[in-house]
Amino acid sequence: MAVFSFREALNQAMSEEMERDDSVFLMGEEVAEYDGAYKVSQGMLKRFGPRRVIDTPISEEGFAGIGIGAAMVGLRPIIEFMTFSFSLVAIDQIVNNAANMRYMSGGQFSVPIVFRGSSGMAGCLGATHSHRLEAWYAQIPGLTVVLPATPADAKGLLKTAIRSDDPVVFIEHEVLYPDKGEIPDGEHLVPFGKAEIKRPGADVSLITYSRSLKATLAAAEELAAKGIEAEVIDLRTIRPLDIDTLVRSVSKTHRAVIVEEDWPYCGLGAGISDRITREIFDELDAPILRVASGDAPIPYNKHLEASMLPSVPRILAAVDEVVYR
Amino acid sequence: MPIEVTMPKLSPTMESGVIAQWLVKVGDTIKEGDVLADIETDKATMQMKSYEDGVIAVIDHEAGAEVALGDRVMVLAKKGEDPKEVAAAAGSASGGSGKGEKAEAKAPADGGNGKRPARAVEEEAEVEEVAVGAGGRVRSSPLARKVAAEAKVDLHRVKGTGPGGRVVRRDVDEFVKGGGASKSAAPAPAPRPAARISTAPLQEQRIPNSRMRKTIAQRMVQSKQTAPEIHVTLDVRVDKLVALRESLNKELAAEKVKLSVGDFVTKAVAVALRRHPALNATFEPDAIVRHGEVNIGIAVALDEGLIVPVLHHADEMGLIDVRRGSEALAAAARGGNLSGEQLSGGTFTISNLGMYGVKQFDAIINLPEVAILAVSAAEKRPVVQGDAIVVGTVMTLTLSADHRAVDGATAADFMRTLKNLLEEPARMLL
Repeated sequence: MAVFSFREALNQAMSEEMERDDSVFLMGEEVAEYDGAYKVSQGMLKRFGPRRVIDTPISEEGFAGIGIGAAMVGLRPIIEFMTFSFSLVAIDQIVNNAANMRYMSGGQFSVPIVFRGSSGMAGCLGATHSHRLEAWYAQIPGLTVVLPATPADAKGLLKTAIRSDDPVVFIEHEVLYPDKGEIPDGEHLVPFGKAEIKRPGADVSLITYSRSLKATLAAAEELAAKGIEAEVIDLRTIRPLDIDTLVRSVSKTHRAVIVEEDWPYCGLGAGISDRITREIFDELDAPILRVASGDAPIPYNKHLEASMLPSVPRILAAVDEVVYR
Repeated sequence: MPIEVTMPKLSPTMESGVIAQWLVKVGDTIKEGDVLADIETDKATMQMKSYEDGVIAVIDHEAGAEVALGDRVMVLAKKGEDPKEVAAAAGSASGGSGKGEKAEAKAPADGGNGKRPARAVEEEAEVEEVAVGAGGRVRSSPLARKVAAEAKVDLHRVKGTGPGGRVVRRDVDEFVKGGGASKSAAPAPAPRPAARISTAPLQEQRIPNSRMRKTIAQRMVQSKQTAPEIHVTLDVRVDKLVALRESLNKELAAEKVKLSVGDFVTKAVAVALRRHPALNATFEPDAIVRHGEVNIGIAVALDEGLIVPVLHHADEMGLIDVRRGSEALAAAARGGNLSGEQLSGGTFTISNLGMYGVKQFDAIINLPEVAILAVSAAEKRPVVQGDAIVVGTVMTLTLSADHRAVDGATAADFMRTLKNLLEEPARMLL
């Protein structure tokens, strides 16, 4: 296994799939000449040429729609949003056209497309550029929603996404791009709908995804020093949800804390908590708690923004409330 | 105007109540009828309900505090009023840390700190304290409930160590480990089978007096010190009553009603009291009040002590109503759910130890009533009938009467009527 950055992992996934399948292409703002706003597509224009690595105008709704049309007639587009905050102007295309085309056409059309790009509270970007929209997309039947937390998963899940015959919303976290990690050699695919237990433990289940995995693992270390063994679960795919893994874990630990960067009200954790409660109410020895962002627009100020993030102290406080020590 | 909520009269004799636990907090919006707190009165733990709608601005006392009747316990902001302003204006009624409260809060078996003594405690067991929410529900986690159900543990008996006294799994586990499992059912009143004789050294135990125990002690002493008692005892042949009971119970089997000998006694006492209003009375220094209702108190033994719920208008009831009414009262007493009304208004009391095989005993008058009837077991005894000795079913009844109000002849006359009614139950129809 070799070590690569998260952005290199994404680049490898796209490049390998474009080598493998000529119908795959990348389209988005500054993905070609500029090598991508976050340098994810570095060198790809040079390697695959302007036919398959395409710069677009600043018109998310337009190029998302073009991608969907291309997918309907047999291509496999990768649509990059510079950030998912900008996907808001394309959400009609994603929800009404991409997610519902197979259903509305009675199965005549499928839409094998990947919408990918950065997201999250990445530091002083302000309220309109810091959105976490995973819960919005996760609510839509017809979409697969993926949020990798490690370079290996970024590569393996993006390759799976590109090969999917249905639309995938693939949400990267901006602060993870430089993160480095080992990636298995050779063909590396990670299946959808499979969470990963990052750290086994018997005392409390910490359920998380994307960038929050880091704070959660750090909290688990501190808990271990206090004699509390937390089981840390990285969801990886949030739709479909790997409820089986969650049920197994919480049936063992009897308590769960969900760590998520999105807003608390109707956030992803609310849906997960609901599923767990309905499946295994009698296994719960404590209420399921959630550590989410603050319920407010994301502040520009660095310190205020930091205070809204799920942090180690906030996770520890939540765990403290459910382990009864 | 904000509404001041005061300590209500939840039992006829209470002078103060201990706030066993608050079920609301400052800032809560409450509606009329919402349960605000569990209050320990001298008789039982009762629910304090709201008569108003509003938002709680001030709570004057913490759980565990003893509050005199009529003293303010909370202030409600009405619609349109700002609870914060109301709180600022209302201040604190009596300060949350009066000496009396502290002392009360420390009394351990008293159910301070939002807890109350558990019911059905085996005598070997320490008095457990349990957090009980509205309606007697125990705060517990779903897992704790599941584990408790599997182990047949009554959660009322498990002390919760989770937040707010929530019973969590480890509490049930500890309880089971401590040998508490399967003792959850109400304790059987029947004599225990001869247990293996233990030779282990006995341990001295100091069991702090509950409010209930203190009340019993105070009232029994008061009765003995104030009422000059007269005791009138007679034997009643109940062969006909027993036969009648059997045949009625066969008929009533379909309705799942099973009359007891005690029910016949209650009914007969009610009928007799109508004929002898001097016994259905209260003694006051300047008058004897003969009551316009016949409300019979029926003593119920609980593990924590004696309680006397009242069967109102017993004289207007048939035997089925007497049975159902008595059953409901006993169940409510055991569940700690007696209402204030069920605990007040008694005009005469019956204490029955027949189920223990007792031959005869004297009961202490439940003041301010003027008499109490002690009922013993109906048992087969040799009886002189004419000049022969035959086997008959006999029950011994003893009336304790307050001689200030009731003379010996009056008491004896009542007892003769009662004997007549019980020996020929058909006379109750007349």
